[in-house]
Amino acid sequence: MNALLKIAGGLAVATALSAPALAQTTVVAPSGSTAGTYMDYMKTVYDRGTGSELLQIPIATFDKEFELTPMAAESWSQSEDGLTWTFKLRSGLVWSDGEPLTAEDFVFALQRAATSGYDFAWYWDFAGGIKGWKEVTEGTADVSTLGLKAVDDLTIEVTTVAPKPYFPSVTSLWYPVPKHKVDELGDDWALDVANIVSSGPFEIESWEKSNNSVVFTKSDTYTGPWAPQIDRLELDPTLNAPEVGLPAFLAGDADYSFLNTGQVPVATQRYPDGIRKNAVFATSYISYDLDAAPFNDVNVRRAFYYAVNREELTTTVLKDIAIPAGSILPPGYPGYNPDVVAQATFDPEKAKQFLADAGFPNGEGFPEVEIWYREEGGYNGAIIPAMAQYLQAEFKEVLGISLNIRALPGPEWMDGLRGKKNNIFIAPYEYDYLDPSNFYGIFYNGGRHGYFIPEYDEIVAKADSESDWDTRYKLYAEAEQVMIDQGLIVPLVHPVTIAVVSDQITGDGVQPNSLGFTQLDRLGHYFFTHITKQ
Amino acid sequence: MIAHIIRRILSVAFTFIVVSIIIFLMMHSVPGGPFDANDMPVSEAVRAKMMAQWGLDQPLHVQYLNYMWGVLHLDFGVPFQSPGETVVELISRAWVPSLILGGSGVLIGAPLGILLGMAAALNRNSWIDYLASTVATLGLTIPVFVTSMLLILIFAVWLNWLPASGWPQPNRWILPIICYALIPLATYARYTRSAMLDTLNRPFVTVLRAKGLSERRIIFQHVMRNSAIPLVTVFLPMFIGTATGSIFVEAMFRVPGLGAYFVSSIEVRDYTLQMALMLLITFMYCLAYLLSDLAYALLNPRIRTGGTE
Repeated sequence: MNALLKIAGGLAVATALSAPALAQTTVVAPSGSTAGTYMDYMKTVYDRGTGSELLQIPIATFDKEFELTPMAAESWSQSEDGLTWTFKLRSGLVWSDGEPLTAEDFVFALQRAATSGYDFAWYWDFAGGIKGWKEVTEGTADVSTLGLKAVDDLTIEVTTVAPKPYFPSVTSLWYPVPKHKVDELGDDWALDVANIVSSGPFEIESWEKSNNSVVFTKSDTYTGPWAPQIDRLELDPTLNAPEVGLPAFLAGDADYSFLNTGQVPVATQRYPDGIRKNAVFATSYISYDLDAAPFNDVNVRRAFYYAVNREELTTTVLKDIAIPAGSILPPGYPGYNPDVVAQATFDPEKAKQFLADAGFPNGEGFPEVEIWYREEGGYNGAIIPAMAQYLQAEFKEVLGISLNIRALPGPEWMDGLRGKKNNIFIAPYEYDYLDPSNFYGIFYNGGRHGYFIPEYDEIVAKADSESDWDTRYKLYAEAEQVMIDQGLIVPLVHPVTIAVVSDQITGDGVQPNSLGFTQLDRLGHYFFTHITKQ
Repeated sequence: MIAHIIRRILSVAFTFIVVSIIIFLMMHSVPGGPFDANDMPVSEAVRAKMMAQWGLDQPLHVQYLNYMWGVLHLDFGVPFQSPGETVVELISRAWVPSLILGGSGVLIGAPLGILLGMAAALNRNSWIDYLASTVATLGLTIPVFVTSMLLILIFAVWLNWLPASGWPQPNRWILPIICYALIPLATYARYTRSAMLDTLNRPFVTVLRAKGLSERRIIFQHVMRNSAIPLVTVFLPMFIGTATGSIFVEAMFRVPGLGAYFVSSIEVRDYTLQMALMLLITFMYCLAYLLSDLAYALLNPRIRTGGTE
């Protein structure tokens, strides 16, 4: 009996050891943040479970050339008056538990988001402009008044307050929520692997909450576009820091790793074909409290605008990890306008002149100011502290003023910005959807910085609802001209991420796009479904 | 003795209450709350709703009393950053890897450190002594994230003997355990060396030698016992220091342990977890010092009676 057990045990172990080696391809990738609460993008974005967006199918998403591609939707159309969008869903989409995926699941996702304290709720007002959104989130109107309707199982109708010609690109962050699961378990459906259902290309196998790492497997029930070519996907936020990621990559524990500036030369030498760059659609800029001295004076703000040597900044202290920013819009982003960018020159004479006009010749009498930035990980963590020190030296040299630096944890920095507890900040922003309205929206009608510039707001509002794309882009350029003339911000740099990718990973996903950039996990739906592993 | 223990327990309870009040006040005096969005403001209505849901709309003293009433029933609430479980469940889950690594680190590092320290003391000014001092100095001065990096570079990247990082396969434990072990090893080597040298120079050792006792008996029965007091003083606190997880070691070796929660609970204003972790640490340190006191009494009868020499 004992011998039999031993043989059986031995066989079981042998099978267990050999089975995964047979066919399974597993990709191990850095991704996300190490803290995650719900595995539900439509419940929380900032504190989401890693990869929660990959588990679900959005209405549409972007491919590597940033072409909008229908996903759950098959097609869409805009009404004559431009206010109503009709999305037709693909038939045959199901949840991983076999329940059909319907228009109701999408409508429910947003209805819940508007009422239950979704940390990304602002997006649907700011980007989507959905009718009634603001009123419902503020609790002054009932959720039934939202401009959202499931006409039938496969048709969704959305009404916006003004024409939103770019609305389909906004839907790249519209994921369904399994209404049948929420009816049964409430928000808790997204807390345990056993209860989580998916509608996208991957299913969840395990979730380590201590560091928010996940293991996904290729979904058996997914019938939408872009089926995965790999069997398993491990997304591990602990690999995000290049200091941890690169050693793991070198030891064969990870399939790619982001690089810090010190690592770039070493990795480039060792893996010349494995280096990938990505110009993140993000911008770091200086913002002010426009009502507080000394920055309530436009001349002071314009002096700052001309006092930054962006070329020197990005070729010395930020070598390889950032490029100069002359506009709030990054290169390659829709609406990017070289004429706007050309104005952001380094001109010490002009800067000095503006400061003198403000009554501070050579910085004399200028109060000591303190610039506040937010402590962060990722690419911002690599860029901002070094940049702050550069600015400190630069402003001293060019303007003759003393700038102190203060790093604050996220909530305190945000609190300072919102509560106008300081007068100058370094602010980073990464795009949320692919349209200029995204970046211009952060200064619109108060927005993120409490800026209320009627002239700017008027142009942006007009641009947002303009249906002719050329006219729109022209209007946005006008809006940015207002920003420049009034010195509302100082665009500093656009971050670039550099990664090294294993040669075992092949497929379109790791091939650079026409601009030479490889998006890696930033366009997760495209990337993770367009790679294979040998 | 019993009166002594009771007094100590009462003082532990008092410390516990004082610490809890201080932490609670400090925690709430930091600007920003758990539901302030990172990038864009949430609407006031929504924020108020979430604050109410977690009872954060109540006056501070009510919140404190509610929390402490829960603590009395071993209910530490639900962590904001992991709503599917209780704080107790979170800690008992995340503590396992930290305990395994930190515990093994101390259990391996401390005896090795003692041996090294003894060898150094008994061979004063020899190469062993210099080696021990070098190891001890390096172990205490090089930050763990540098040691981690070196270990990964040597054993995972160059030699390819071990995985660089990760969890839970036991071969992935080896490097972080070495990393953890270096600190107690270094500390113990130093303490043991100086305590033993101190004891070896005392007159009673000369007397024992004069009595003709074997050197082995002198060292192990007399010198060691008399040198043990400072070692006991550092042992338990050190054990706690490593067993609660090091944010650096855990981050470098990608260990899903408790260490990161100390930082994240403060960062995201996870009040319930923050309180629980601080109280846990307080409790453990109080307990450690209590146990150390008892151990002194066992080792040194002069402490037990509270008398003079």
